[in-house]
Formats: sequence, structure tokens, C-alpha cells
Amino acid sequence: MPNIIETSGLTKVFGSNGMSVHALRGIDLAVSRGEFVALVGPSGSGKSTLMAILGCLDSPTEGRYRLDGEPVEGLTGPALARIRNEKVGFVFQSYNLLPKENVLRNVELPLLYAGLPRKERRARAFEMLEKVGIPEKATVLPAQLSGGQRQRVAIARALANHPALLLADEPTGALDSKTGAEVLELFCELNRQGNTVVLVTHDPKIAALASRRVELQDGLVVREEERAA
Amino acid sequence: MKTTGAFRERLRSAWTEIRENLGRSVLQALGVMLGVASVLGGFSISDSQRRHSDDAWMKRGGFDKLNVQPAGAIRDGTTPTALQNANLGLRRTDARDGERVDEKAVQAFSVEKFARARVRSPFADRDRDIRGIAADYLAMNGYEIEEGRAFSTEDLEKASPVALLGAEAVSVFFPNGDAVGQVIRVGDIPVTVVGILREKVFRWRESEQNVFAWRNRIIALPATLVAQRMQGDVHQRVDRVVFKIPNLGLMDVFSTGLRSVLKANHRQQEDFRLDDIAARVKKRRSQGQVYNMIFMLSGILSLVGGGMVNVNIQLASLKERVREVGVKMAIGASGREVFKEFMTEALLLTSLGGLVGFVLGVLFSKVITKVLEVPLWMNPASFVWAFALALVFGFVFAIYPAWKASRLSPMEALRYE
Repeated sequence: MPNIIETSGLTKVFGSNGMSVHALRGIDLAVSRGEFVALVGPSGSGKSTLMAILGCLDSPTEGRYRLDGEPVEGLTGPALARIRNEKVGFVFQSYNLLPKENVLRNVELPLLYAGLPRKERRARAFEMLEKVGIPEKATVLPAQLSGGQRQRVAIARALANHPALLLADEPTGALDSKTGAEVLELFCELNRQGNTVVLVTHDPKIAALASRRVELQDGLVVREEERAA
Repeated sequence: MKTTGAFRERLRSAWTEIRENLGRSVLQALGVMLGVASVLGGFSISDSQRRHSDDAWMKRGGFDKLNVQPAGAIRDGTTPTALQNANLGLRRTDARDGERVDEKAVQAFSVEKFARARVRSPFADRDRDIRGIAADYLAMNGYEIEEGRAFSTEDLEKASPVALLGAEAVSVFFPNGDAVGQVIRVGDIPVTVVGILREKVFRWRESEQNVFAWRNRIIALPATLVAQRMQGDVHQRVDRVVFKIPNLGLMDVFSTGLRSVLKANHRQQEDFRLDDIAARVKKRRSQGQVYNMIFMLSGILSLVGGGMVNVNIQLASLKERVREVGVKMAIGASGREVFKEFMTEALLLTSLGGLVGFVLGVLFSKVITKVLEVPLWMNPASFVWAFALALVFGFVFAIYPAWKASRLSPMEALRYE
């Protein structure tokens, strides 16, 4: 089975010459289809940078990266936008929903960028809202939802284009422990359905839910642990 | 043609953005509103003025005319040569020969002969200008018969003692209004009034005097009658010949042809003057064009000023929207898509501003034409012009902020606080 993520020697350097900061110093990482990986590490360890590169928001300074079999390290602008649209679903700590658009339209947005016709967009967006358990909130503005519900909308939006990879950056960071647990349960459920999930967190309890734990420090992978099934 | 409705979605979210930031949007569209209003208003006012002056020309029978009048061929201080002395001046034959220069170009011509005489009726006794007329004089000068009849061909040929009176002449010589069929004396010739001419009225402003008042003073006799009975002229000299040339493109060729024919008739003496009315009007019009340019320029300046304000506001508001752009990019919007979204918003705003500008422009023109007391006339083309200018400037000034937004790095945009 081909790996969803395959990187070798990924480095990322910010700034130039004297002022440069090496955020990543050579990451070799492979994530196969259907895995649930937790990226952990203290702040400044480079996990957000790695996440940005894995999500094609940023390009590595050096190294190779294949996403779903496609080499993406050399791609720029529009090509990267297409990859983000088709292959990656993002879930952020702060939800990042568009406040002026209702829930349904928020979920539709990636489908719009993918060029789907209107009817299909509608149907798919509804389907996703059902999947995350809040179909009744379709016409509501994000501001009228609770934090947990907002994160569910964000997850529905991330799933809309059936991405190969679901990337979550501290998805429960802004939630209380009870709703946080519910959202995490949703991730587990999505993973059981076959979605590949990479989750960034600094909470060991959350990391313990994942099938594999990858620990970063100073821009390097310092430890990898499989969880006994 | 894509059927994804992406454009519709962009338009819809642009509208949401405009509606949610109404104050800012109005501020942004202000320049467009004023620009459109000023271009539209300016054009409409000058169009209305021109329409009004066209109306004046139509009322005096159009400006597609070439006048021929006698002129002194003799320079001051020189003794006229025998040839010059022997010249007879402008004659009836000149009119006929002129028509033959290009019968297709000449739609009509008129002949006039001036005289002054004592005119007497049972009610009045005045010294008045008399106009001997022939051919199409009435039609070419926009006169219409109010009562009675015009001169017949026979009247004109046989020098019948008949007369037509203008409205003012009727009121002077027949204050009771009953003029047709009555006899007046022009000099010592008794002539019968066969028709009354409709009063001609034109005012540059509603409250001003009638500039056509003198045209109502006309006392017209057949030119032949004036020549034979009043002046005893056997050469049929005339004081003015006018040719109507509806196709102005033929005017130059015709006037050159006419000049050589007349010179041949006049023993190579240039004792006449050609006056191309159309050219004169055109020249005056071209001065009117200057005003149009000024109005257009002031509109453009306000569009440019508004455009720059727009760029500033848009750049400032972009700061608030960096994160939104980042999110859109993260879920797959390309820079191109972001650019399109910003452009759609700017052009929608420009269009809405333009529509408000139309309303302002119409109101503005109404007020000004009311003050000028000129009937309002708005050319549909002015609306198109004003809107097109607004769109062009709206487009140009929207490019920079939109480009800036499209160039944001998704990573930095997402982290922007």
C-alpha cells in the first residue's frame, strides 16, 4: 500500500545568512493510509512548520516530499493550491470559519474551489454535516454555534473534498475537556472509517489516542512509538 | 462555459462583504458616485443646450444651407474698371444655374429681394421692410401658413399683387385679426393679403424675449412684383439666394462648382459671397465640445481621486482580512481565485456606485437645466460613457489591492493576528 506521506531529509530555514533559523533539520517521515499519527513536541520544536509543509501551505527549503504518491516539494502557487484543495483537509485550533457565511456555505467552499456544480456542492456539504452530527445547523452563522459545534463544521469542511490526508493543529486547544473529548472521538471515528489523520498536539493524553506517536525536538524526529493495538 | 456558478458565488459573497461593511463601502463608492454624476450631468447639460440650439435652427428651416449674397468687388480707393461697372450683380439666372450645378445635392433654393416701403392699411400707416420672395423661401425659413394660402407658381411668375403677413404685421395692420382677403398698399401698389404666417417663437430661456420676434414682422411679396413694380429692374437682380444641401458631405464640392459657375456668369468678377451656414454652426459646435471635455475631465478627476481613496481603504481593510484570505488559501483557493474575489467585489461596488451616480447625475442635470430654463435632454450614450469610465477606473484602481491580497503567503496569512 503506498504511503500517504513520505518525506526524506526535509529542512526548513527561515530568514537568510546570519539571521537564519533552522526550523526543520531533516525529517524522514512516512505515514501510510489509514494511520492516525500524533505529532508531539514542545513549542519551537518545529511541529507547526512541519505541519505547514505537510499541508502544502509552505514549501521545504530542501528535501523530498511525496503526498499521496505525488512529489510536491517543487510545486508553487496554483499547483499547491490545487493539492491543498484536493488532498488535504485542515482543522485549526481556532476553527477559522468565515464569520459572514453560514455553516453550509463554509462547508461548500472547498467544493466551490474544486469546481463542483452547485447542486452537487449542496448535497455533499449536507452529507458532511450529517457525518459530523450537526445537519440541523446548516443555515446558521458560525457565531451562533458553540466551540465544539464550530470545530465540527471545520471538520466537515476539511472532509468535503474527500482528502487523502486530514491535518489537525491542536483541534481541541480552544475547547473545554468534555467537548474536546467529543471532538477527539469524532477524529477517532473518522480514522476508523479509513481517513488518514495527522494531529499536532502537546497534550500526551491526546497523543495516546493515536496509533503512532512522533516526537519532534529542535527540528528533528527524536522518537517514534507505535501504540500496541 | 463553466456551470459551477463560481461567478455567482463570488458575486454573492462580494455583496455580503459590501452589505456587512456598509459605511466603508459607501465611502469607497463615493468617488464613483460623484464621478458618474459629474460626467453624466455635464454631458446632459451640454446636450440639452445643443438640443435647444438645434431646435432654434430647425425652427428657421435647418442649417444645411449655402447663402449667396452680392458683395463689392471693388476695393476702396480704386476706380472701378468698365468691366466692374458693367456687372449686374446677383440675378435670378444665378439661382437657376446654381441649382443645375448639382441637382441631386440641391434639395431646394430660395430667392430674396429686399425693399423698403410705406405700408398702409385701414388701421395703420408705417414705413416697413418688404421682402420679395421666390421659390422655396417659406419652407426653407421654417414659415408655415396659419390662415389662407401661400404664393402660387403663377403669382411668382406673373408678379401678382399679393402679400403674406407675419403675425406681428397682422397685429399692426389688422388689429382685429381679419387680414386674409383685405387689401393693403405697399408703396403705391394695392396688394391683396392671401395668407397669414404662423407666429414663430423661440426663447433661449423661458423667461427671455422671443429671439424670432423680427421674423414675425415679415411682409412678403412675390420677388417679381418687387422687381417690376417697385424697383423697375429689368435685370431681375436679387439680394440673396440660398441653396438647401441636406447632404452636408456634398457641400464643399457644390460650393466650389457654384463659385465657378457664378464667376462665369459675372464676367469673372467675384462680386458675391458664399456663406456655408453648416460650417459656421459646426465651428460654433466645436467650441461646445470644449465644455464636454471639461465635464469629462472633471468626472475623470473625481474618479481618479475616488479611486485613490478606494485603494487606501481597500489596503487598510485588507489588513483585517488577511486571515480570511489565509483560510481560503488553506482550503484550496489559488491566488488567482483570491484576485478574482477582490476584483468582483470592487467591480460590484463600482457598479452600485455608478447606479447611485446615475440618480445623482439626473437630479443634477434637472436642477441645472431648470436654472438655465432649457428643456432637459439626456443622451443614452452619456449613461454608457459615464458607466464605462467608472468601470475602467474602478477596474484599474482595484488591481493593486487585489493583487496584493492574491500574493499573500497562505502560511503567513493564517498566522496573522
